[in-house]
Amino acid sequence: MMRSGGLGKLARRLCLLVFSALLARPCALAAQESAETPPSKVERKNRAPAAREMLRVKIPKPIEAKLKNGLTLLILEDHRAPSVSVQLHIGGAGALFEPAALAGLAGTAAQMLREGTRSRTSIQIAEEVDRLGATLGAGSSFGSPDAVLRASGLSDNFDAWFGLAAEIWLNPNFPADELEKLKQRQRAQLRQQRSAANFLVNERFNRAVYGEHPAATVSATPESIDAITREALVGWHRERYRPQNAILGIAGDVRAADVIGKLQKWLTGWQKSDLKEVWPHAPVAAAARQIFLVDRPGSVQATVALGNIAIDRRSRDYIPMVVMNHVIGGGAMGRLFLNLREEKGYTYGVYSNFTALRYPGPWQAGGNMRTEVTAGALVEFFNEIRRIREEKVPAAELAASKRAIAARFALSLEQPAAILGLAIARKQYDLAADYWDHYPAKIMAVSADEVQRVARKYLSPDAMQLVAVGDANKLKDVLAQYGAVEVFDGAGRPVRAGTQPN
Amino acid sequence: MAACVIAAALGNAAFGLSAASAPARHRSVRSFDVAFKEFKLKNGLRVILAEDHSAPTYSICVTYNVGSRDERPGRTGFAHLFEHMLFQGSANVGKGEHLILVQNNGGSANGTTSADRTNYFETLPANQLELGIFLEADRMRSPSITQANFDNQRLTVQEERRQSYDNRPYGRTYETVIDTAYDNFAYKHSTIGSMDDLNAATVEDAAAFFRSYYAPNNAVLSLAGDFKSETALALIKKYFESIAAQPPPPALDVNEPAQKAERRRTIEDAFAQAPRIDIVYKIPPGNTADWYALAMLGQVLSSGVSSRLYQKLVKEKELALGVSAGPDERRGPSLFWFTINARPGTDLAALEKLLYEEVARVQNEAVADADLDKVRMQLKRQRAQQRYSSRSRANTLGHYAVYYDDPQLINSVWRKYEQVTKADLQRAARAYFSESNRTVVTTLPKPGAGRGGGEPKAR
Repeated sequence: MMRSGGLGKLARRLCLLVFSALLARPCALAAQESAETPPSKVERKNRAPAAREMLRVKIPKPIEAKLKNGLTLLILEDHRAPSVSVQLHIGGAGALFEPAALAGLAGTAAQMLREGTRSRTSIQIAEEVDRLGATLGAGSSFGSPDAVLRASGLSDNFDAWFGLAAEIWLNPNFPADELEKLKQRQRAQLRQQRSAANFLVNERFNRAVYGEHPAATVSATPESIDAITREALVGWHRERYRPQNAILGIAGDVRAADVIGKLQKWLTGWQKSDLKEVWPHAPVAAAARQIFLVDRPGSVQATVALGNIAIDRRSRDYIPMVVMNHVIGGGAMGRLFLNLREEKGYTYGVYSNFTALRYPGPWQAGGNMRTEVTAGALVEFFNEIRRIREEKVPAAELAASKRAIAARFALSLEQPAAILGLAIARKQYDLAADYWDHYPAKIMAVSADEVQRVARKYLSPDAMQLVAVGDANKLKDVLAQYGAVEVFDGAGRPVRAGTQPN
Repeated sequence: MAACVIAAALGNAAFGLSAASAPARHRSVRSFDVAFKEFKLKNGLRVILAEDHSAPTYSICVTYNVGSRDERPGRTGFAHLFEHMLFQGSANVGKGEHLILVQNNGGSANGTTSADRTNYFETLPANQLELGIFLEADRMRSPSITQANFDNQRLTVQEERRQSYDNRPYGRTYETVIDTAYDNFAYKHSTIGSMDDLNAATVEDAAAFFRSYYAPNNAVLSLAGDFKSETALALIKKYFESIAAQPPPPALDVNEPAQKAERRRTIEDAFAQAPRIDIVYKIPPGNTADWYALAMLGQVLSSGVSSRLYQKLVKEKELALGVSAGPDERRGPSLFWFTINARPGTDLAALEKLLYEEVARVQNEAVADADLDKVRMQLKRQRAQQRYSSRSRANTLGHYAVYYDDPQLINSVWRKYEQVTKADLQRAARAYFSESNRTVVTTLPKPGAGRGGGEPKAR
């Protein structure tokens, strides 16, 4: 939790405990423990004075333009505060498209942008960014088709910091000495990330659900970092940082007409090419259940994820999936949370979510739970999956879930960047211009039959990919109840059956 | 324990009389200021209303003047455990229904506990004004403190402790630092508390804690966003004013004896893959001139890629993966933290020495004007962005009202930062960054970590 009243990073030092985890993954239980614990039941008294009407809001639409070089431009004027945020999504420049042997190339290219241009060194760029009070960031997460470049700052000096951002985006020179320094940091980070249970669960889960699809990769390797050269970065940037597949979004205290005029100057020389995004074969849902256990000695919790490939963003099932997911695992009113936390006390929080991009991604559920209750938690995960497949969601629960999704739109109006994000998603997935105008009504129209249909279609217990990270000695027998268990060590190497994890 | 810092502050407040009128501020289009009005109900509840129609939303926050510093030995973690109980239902709200009602109506909610206060907040669409006010009033009046719910939330909080501390790298470092640096129990123990103390807590403790601390005269109610102040005030009176006031909570002494010598500790971490060094100095409470100077100094040292420590330790010497510097903000004696994430295999003594060289530099030489200007620009930006989030405004008003009896700090704090000079930085660095005022905690990967290692040792 941050306080806005002071220096944000200082506030981080406050030891604040947040009541419900924002997101987590994993699960667990023991029969004798639940017997000792008296029932603590969720209850609805329905006495609170809530307005029956849902507040209808109109999501503002940014101004759209296409520049001569093919760049799609979205500008949302919002003059509530003298600040501006910018995001440039460059399709085709994301990690999804990088060669497997060069895992991390797209992210490294994005990170290297601020390490030098033809006219400025790394430290000069850093000094200038900080002098202007601006923020520049760039990256490409694994599995993403885009490189995402962000900049933000005050509107007073927008021209100065945007000009600088454009310079580093378009004219980086990837200095070899800075690349070596970055690679040294990356090597240390590779080691560091293996200490986090969340990293280990994601690594194994993505491998399980995506199989041969490039989104199976969640990290660079020491070998791929060694293989990334200055030439590879220069080539990647020259080939892939092209405007015809890119969306530039600007939100905040700017005048659209003014900005469009200046963009011609700032982005001069950025020329389109005939590069197209060539999509890998879409991942398909696994047909049979698989169970993976990653040994993390010393763990006091099991970190669990289970799920399977479901849909892409343009799927006709997207809207009913939003509702189904909300019913089973959406926040503090989701069935998983109410059951495993509020009634059983197994966990600080369990949730579900699904990833739907240009290619199909997984629906998944999970969270962290003390090792001793993992068996009981898994029972409840599968119980909830069975329940949403086999029983129609009761009318009141369905109505409440739909309302929660639709009514929440009002909150997005506080943040210009959130409104802009909706418009960018619309462009990225070729959704209709009035898509968000009709979205709440579409959510409200989802029926219990549709929820059940998508649950049956995408949440198949027999095909679930189940991953647990924790103390393998204690978890192996628990997981074995669900089928043959493949064990891995913390370095990601398989541990052969019959040998003790070490 | 000595004078009740908190109750005294509230009792003598300039706004303690009743319905103080709004600060006469004219909000021009480009003004950064948050305009608000203050009231006090008959039962002592302080009410702050920051009406603002920039989005069709509002946030409500109740900040209680109680935190983990108010806990007694043997009951660490209790303030936070009790915070969880306020989501377990009340006379007119079922267990779990609070969050369900907020979510069903398009809102979001949470609660947080720190050493110095506990807060609860909701953000909702503007047409649900009454709902938020009702929910906060009902749980201030009549929480359902039952054995079953208490046992359930004890388990939940213990899972929170495992997830956030015991099962992650460097999860024990924070507790080791405060345990070593502080002498007074108030800040010496963590807000999450120990497993043993959580196990020892009883439902009777919860009822007593509620009576002592969760009274309207020990809380601040702040609202920010899209509502009419008269309407909001009428609803607040309707739901809150009949909640009975209580005698002020027991007095608390958070003072620390002067530290006489450097303190050092080394711990092993079952999960960490690389060492980390935390170097802390005892400094004055928040909202003091020296605290603001130290906050600015922390930014000069470590904010942004161009900052001295990042450039020296991460880029130039390549000994660290990251470094941060800055004070925590407490109502009592605070700590200035340097945290260095070392690279695996780094000579830690050399790294620590390098940090002290940078500390000596700010003690011996004035920082450049440009360094201070950079920080001022960052502050200007943070201030501008405060305009967007109604939650941040509501929570900040509650924060300043409970911490320092001065909600106007939401606007005036920026001047306090701006007024800090180069000479202030140098003076503060000299005054507090001394060896005898220092605590150093080194966290080392446990031999075989990542492959072996058992439960973290209890201290």
